[in-house]
Amino acid sequence: MIVSRRLLAAMIAWTAAAPGARPAAQVSTTTLSASVSTAAKLNLSTASVSFPDADPDIVPQIPTVGGPVLITAKSRANPGMQVVLTVQAADDLRSGVSLIPASNITWTASGAGFVAGTLSKLAPVTVATWVGSGVRTGTQQLYLRNLWTHPTGTYTVSLLYTLSAP
Amino acid sequence: MNRRSRALALAGALALAAAANPSGQGRGGAPGPQLDLSVSPASIAFASADPDVSPIVAAAPVVVTVRVRQNPGPWTLTVLAGGDLIAGPATVDITNVSWTATPSPPYQNGTLSKTVAQRLASGTGNVNPAQNGSVTFRLANSWNYSAGNYTQTLVFTLTAP
Repeated sequence: MIVSRRLLAAMIAWTAAAPGARPAAQVSTTTLSASVSTAAKLNLSTASVSFPDADPDIVPQIPTVGGPVLITAKSRANPGMQVVLTVQAADDLRSGVSLIPASNITWTASGAGFVAGTLSKLAPVTVATWVGSGVRTGTQQLYLRNLWTHPTGTYTVSLLYTLSAP
Repeated sequence: MNRRSRALALAGALALAAAANPSGQGRGGAPGPQLDLSVSPASIAFASADPDVSPIVAAAPVVVTVRVRQNPGPWTLTVLAGGDLIAGPATVDITNVSWTATPSPPYQNGTLSKTVAQRLASGTGNVNPAQNGSVTFRLANSWNYSAGNYTQTLVFTLTAP
């Protein structure tokens, strides 16, 4: 009997303290997910550049007409991974049977991550490097080493720019 | 107190306890709000997209079903993110996720937060029969996001009063 009274009293006390005063609530949980893939997008301000004829004694390094190339590199990379922009010549500069080695083209650069370099037909040469995702801009000023020994002619070569974001 | 009166007292106590349960049943014989909430589908996904082409990425619409009964006062539906979008060491601030919702009212547009539950819908009185709302979540796309598969939990809460 005493036990029953205590039980009853305890239950009534619990009832009074029960969360009936709390607002009614219903909860539903969902999962939000987003897929972000690696990606790279490269934009050059011009699709072609040219070096004018010049006296080698006066202009030993001929800059391109129109000034530097503006480069915009957009990339999405995995965290901490290095994003690399390279350039490689498809061949030497050629004019019929005459040629000027691709290594006669050099460049200076401006912008975070951009570096100066010398063109090669044998391997890609680094133009810029960064870490991680982002949009980067910079300039590349190409120069042709001007020599009296270059055969006359109109020379052309294709340059391949590659932006990689692992 | 005999056995019968003890049984009656026990039944009475149980009845009082049941009336005080948090599922929305009121006390003292007056029924409290009865709330029903469902969100479908249970997962919301943003596909990868070129930020230049798709500066905003929309997920498939989510259907939110709300039913409110025995409610003389206001009711509110909120959504709260468990944190930022996370993919290993990479994060995307959850405030880059916003939503548009219809019909309006009771639904309203907003932006996710990981700190304060944001109001998704609100009203007064009952919503009976159940009413569907369509919520489309949108991610502000950016080249600055690291690659990865991001996830986070969203908690929808329907309350009254």
